[in-house]
Amino acid sequence: MSLIKKPGGKALDVLQNLPRITLANLRPEPGSKQKEKRRGRGQYGGNRSGRGHKGERQRGTRPRLGFEGGATPFYLIIPKYGYNEGHSRRPQYQPLSLKRLQYLIDVGRLDPSQPIDLTQLVNARGVTIQPQKRDFGVQLVDEGAELFSAKINIEVQRASEAAIAAVERNGGVLTNSFYDPISLAILIKPVPFFQRGQPIPKRMHPGEEMVPFYMDPCARGYLAPPEQVQQARLALAKKYGYVLPDLSRDELFHMLSSRKDPRQIFFGLSPGWVVNMADRKILKPTNEKLVQYYGS
Amino acid sequence: MSSMPGESSLPSNLRLPSNLVDPSRTKRPPPPADSSLPIIRTCDSSVPAHLSPLLTWVESLAAQQGDPVGLAQLHPDVFAVPSRLDILHQVEVWQRSYKRISYANTKVRSEVRGGGRKPWRQKGSGRARVGSIRSPLWRGGGVSHGPRGPTSYYYMLPMKVRVMGLKVALSSKLAQDYLYVVESLDLPTPDPQYILDLLRQRHWGQSLLIVDACDELPENLLQATANLKTVNIIPAIGLNVHSMLKHEAVVLTLAAVRFLESKLLWHDERYTPLYPFKMPYSDLP
Repeated sequence: MSLIKKPGGKALDVLQNLPRITLANLRPEPGSKQKEKRRGRGQYGGNRSGRGHKGERQRGTRPRLGFEGGATPFYLIIPKYGYNEGHSRRPQYQPLSLKRLQYLIDVGRLDPSQPIDLTQLVNARGVTIQPQKRDFGVQLVDEGAELFSAKINIEVQRASEAAIAAVERNGGVLTNSFYDPISLAILIKPVPFFQRGQPIPKRMHPGEEMVPFYMDPCARGYLAPPEQVQQARLALAKKYGYVLPDLSRDELFHMLSSRKDPRQIFFGLSPGWVVNMADRKILKPTNEKLVQYYGS
Repeated sequence: MSSMPGESSLPSNLRLPSNLVDPSRTKRPPPPADSSLPIIRTCDSSVPAHLSPLLTWVESLAAQQGDPVGLAQLHPDVFAVPSRLDILHQVEVWQRSYKRISYANTKVRSEVRGGGRKPWRQKGSGRARVGSIRSPLWRGGGVSHGPRGPTSYYYMLPMKVRVMGLKVALSSKLAQDYLYVVESLDLPTPDPQYILDLLRQRHWGQSLLIVDACDELPENLLQATANLKTVNIIPAIGLNVHSMLKHEAVVLTLAAVRFLESKLLWHDERYTPLYPFKMPYSDLP
């Protein structure tokens, strides 16, 4: 026995001298199960069972929480104020820090030579998105901005100014783009959607209150005019004090300049196309009405 | 604990009573490192650097008093995991309950036949106020808070716990010397008595579970075990904690060992699933 190292630890050695483990001698971990307390049973059962004399205490008919015996309770004296109004309907953006993004790239779970969007981030297990829980995507936070050193073309939904600066300092490109909940569900899990055999829908435009953000060149919105975005990039470089690398002379220019159409969900796949996973084929609509509908 | 010489160092409540021990059954030591027998099988997947593969005997069922024909390496992450007996208990409780349906059902006062008429008037009779002869307080009345079956006890244990249960069961069987690896399941005769004699000769205990991974089982083995209640055959894909603990000894073929190792070790290295496993993945190993 001393020749073979016991990986299971000393417990396996003890087990050798114990009776055989059978269905009859199994038990849970001692102390892990607590028995429910049964009032009124056993030695001190008897007349009052430890509940005192009479009244709401003995009968367990106490009034509701916050009731002050008829006086106007505290929670009604203080007026309401809408700090948390609509909290269950507000969009949420799961945080992704630059530190984590750098880690995912370093261990090879993300490929920086390809444009990175939510599909890549979810497949790398970098973020978990739940569209049913009002998740509208991912926000890039600037934690670890000084460590970040990858040149990427990334598409997120929200990004802080320092995070944008950290990406662009390395010669990368960042876009904030909007996905409606249905498109988002398709984007984060393409395989279950493709297996349903439905055509890829058109991506919806953002709602009225989100349009100013996504048209803002300083926020790198996907609806902002490209010339203004270029100016904003230069302005940000000036503000943070770095020299903006020239993209057009970059060897990865083609990858870095690739953008999705505002109506497009996947890179390289247009709305209206059907992906046949079994035969590994892509079917495109030929009917004129369909072409017109998906093309608009 | 390796300094423990034997049973005497165990506390008295853990010592096996002498009348329960098969006197001729003695612990068979694991094969020495410099054994002259050939190593028939090595681990398919790599063994972590801080662990070493386990060596075990490979036997043959072709003869009653079969000497080992070789040695086999077993993966320590499957056959020597920490003995979490509470996981075994969890899995066993789950195996019993997830397919259980309790049909216990009692009738409430509205389901008991009759009782629509008020037995006597509300006031003036001097008797208690009663509205129905099927009140739960009455004899023959309905049952309050009784079982309202059928009730399903289905729940699912997390997949990693179920996998760990199998690993712990295999490890503890091996540690207690109740797990045997055989080369093949070929028997010389279809006689059931041959298997029973073999059990007695080799001190394998009262009951035996034979695990194989191939599609076709030898005809002799099927005929011999057809009417034996204590010797059972299970495909490796259906191996479970309950069956392993119910039988005294477990016999694995080399194919079953390979199958179990590949299936169980996969869970150690896989990513968390994004959608059901039956759908295609590009990144899972």
